[in-house]
Amino acid sequence: MPLKLLLQLSWRNLWRHRRRNLILFTAILVAIAACVLLGSLIRGMQVDMMKDAVENLSGNLKVLAPGYREDPSIEKAFPLRDGYRPDIPDDEMVGWTRRVRVPAVVTSERETRGISLVGIDLGEERAISFLAQVTIRGEALADENDDRILLGAELAARLDTDVGRRVVIMTQGADGRNREAGFRVAGLYDAPGTALEKAYAFTGLHPLQKLLGTNDVTEVSIRLRDDRFSAAANSSLMKEMSGLEVLNWRQLDPQAAAFYEIADVGITIWYVILLLALAFGLINSLITAVLERVREFGMLRALGMRPRAVVVQVVIESVLIVGFALAGGIAVGIALVGLFAEGIDLSNYAAGAELAGMRSRLVPHLVARDVLLLSGLAVALAVLASAYPAWRAVRIKPLDALRR
Amino acid sequence: MGNETPVVMCRNVGRVYDIDSIPVNALRSVDLIVESGEFVSLAGPSGSGKSTLLNLIGALDRPSSGEVIVDGVALATLDETQLADLRLNKIGFVFQAYNLIPVLSARENVEFIMQLQGVPSGERRERSLEVLASLGMAELADRRPGQMSGGQQQRVAVARAIVTRPALLLADEPSANLDSETTKGLLELLRRVNVERGVTIVTATHDPMVMSYARRRVQLLDGRIASDQRVAAETA
Repeated sequence: MPLKLLLQLSWRNLWRHRRRNLILFTAILVAIAACVLLGSLIRGMQVDMMKDAVENLSGNLKVLAPGYREDPSIEKAFPLRDGYRPDIPDDEMVGWTRRVRVPAVVTSERETRGISLVGIDLGEERAISFLAQVTIRGEALADENDDRILLGAELAARLDTDVGRRVVIMTQGADGRNREAGFRVAGLYDAPGTALEKAYAFTGLHPLQKLLGTNDVTEVSIRLRDDRFSAAANSSLMKEMSGLEVLNWRQLDPQAAAFYEIADVGITIWYVILLLALAFGLINSLITAVLERVREFGMLRALGMRPRAVVVQVVIESVLIVGFALAGGIAVGIALVGLFAEGIDLSNYAAGAELAGMRSRLVPHLVARDVLLLSGLAVALAVLASAYPAWRAVRIKPLDALRR
Repeated sequence: MGNETPVVMCRNVGRVYDIDSIPVNALRSVDLIVESGEFVSLAGPSGSGKSTLLNLIGALDRPSSGEVIVDGVALATLDETQLADLRLNKIGFVFQAYNLIPVLSARENVEFIMQLQGVPSGERRERSLEVLASLGMAELADRRPGQMSGGQQQRVAVARAIVTRPALLLADEPSANLDSETTKGLLELLRRVNVERGVTIVTATHDPMVMSYARRRVQLLDGRIASDQRVAAETA
């Protein structure tokens, strides 16, 4: 098959109808650029979802006692030996922490609310959770021995309390009896969105253990440098924490995991829909190009060009126009991703965005795999869209064409 | 000539077209043998069957009955791809409307069939320039068909047809779109190709000037051969 000749013919044929092909080229380029940008925005949203899920006290992995998720009480705590450190290499782990988390009721002078009370070491916590990014009015907890309480700003507003005031915490101790203690409000944290602020109150790990009458913890949370280290870390933790559950963020936050999976599928569906829409324009243009050159195709066949070569010529014309538009579209798409690198401000729609699991600033995240997928789909489109026009071209009988 | 395989053998060839469900006999029981090196003109009025016979010989059409053999190959045994290969390797075509590829230059048009045949580029270029030069077209080698006159385009078409040294050159009304002066030049060229290169030529024409250059004149009438004369070409 004289591929060089067919390439030469196809290339020059593209320039015979410049305006028509330029319009088609532009349409494909714009669609590809839109795919790159929107794919990156969906990926950005996906990255935010995962980050939020991991940072919202889940971590990439968490060690829990069996049954704790169904009944998160102090009875489901487990001991942690002194000097314990997860057996995960430093270059795979950002950090880890231990926590005591129990359901509790917090009461101010005016209001009462149900919360999750979490005993933490703020130093460890700041390396791995959303507490690293929050702004605090008042003071942060000093260390794991700080017996003050850190409330979310939204919770404080609902309790009608403030920094320096006292609240009363009531929860169940390790012995099954109710415990009650007063805590002075050290500070109010302001997290992205209000869900975290309403749900969590923090105090020092040791004061909470003392209140509950235990030295155990309810969870060990690990933040990895990349989620791909999760499987190896999981099996390592399973070995050293026999009898306990080791769960990843997807198991801990199934809703976020479901959104994450949907985003994966969504990108492919989005690409396919947009490219299918383009396919009709491409087929129309190719059929027109074939019908305009019936006599020419007949002549080529008469001179001895094989039917298969005619098919390949039409396919090459399609692949050339899509290929160049693809390259241009990817370049424009990457430029647009660069343009929006600081993120798109969605603060005007913050409530809705939060419901959809998005942050108020959506930052595009370009993934090479998506660009490869888009390229593969576009080339497949070029070949498939040329099938019918090529079939029309090969059905042209040389004699009939030459008589025209 | 005598012991060589004929370049063309038509045995009892008939061609019936179905026009609006009415069978029309374009050719009826035609027998024709063309030996190597002949210059044959198929003549006759419109509808006599000369173009139909030329198309059957050129493997562009299949007979309704009878057999066509080109350079020893029975065309009825070949599929579409094999017919394409036969046209490519054994037959040169000069069409009425030149039929050059508009996006290729004169040289590239001449090289086209050699490219399909897989001739190396250096040899292609050398042979195409040589043929164009022999036809007085060397200076127009880089021009595209749209930048050439009808006569020039027809000369390029002849160059394309002979550059591969085919067993048979078929020319369908080669003078149809040319003035008499250009026609004369073209016919001189075909005569040279026939005499100097030994290329067998069959033309279908109703132009007396074209007939006058042929050394054998086959007259068709109503789909049959009415006369078949070997003559000394008048202008030879």
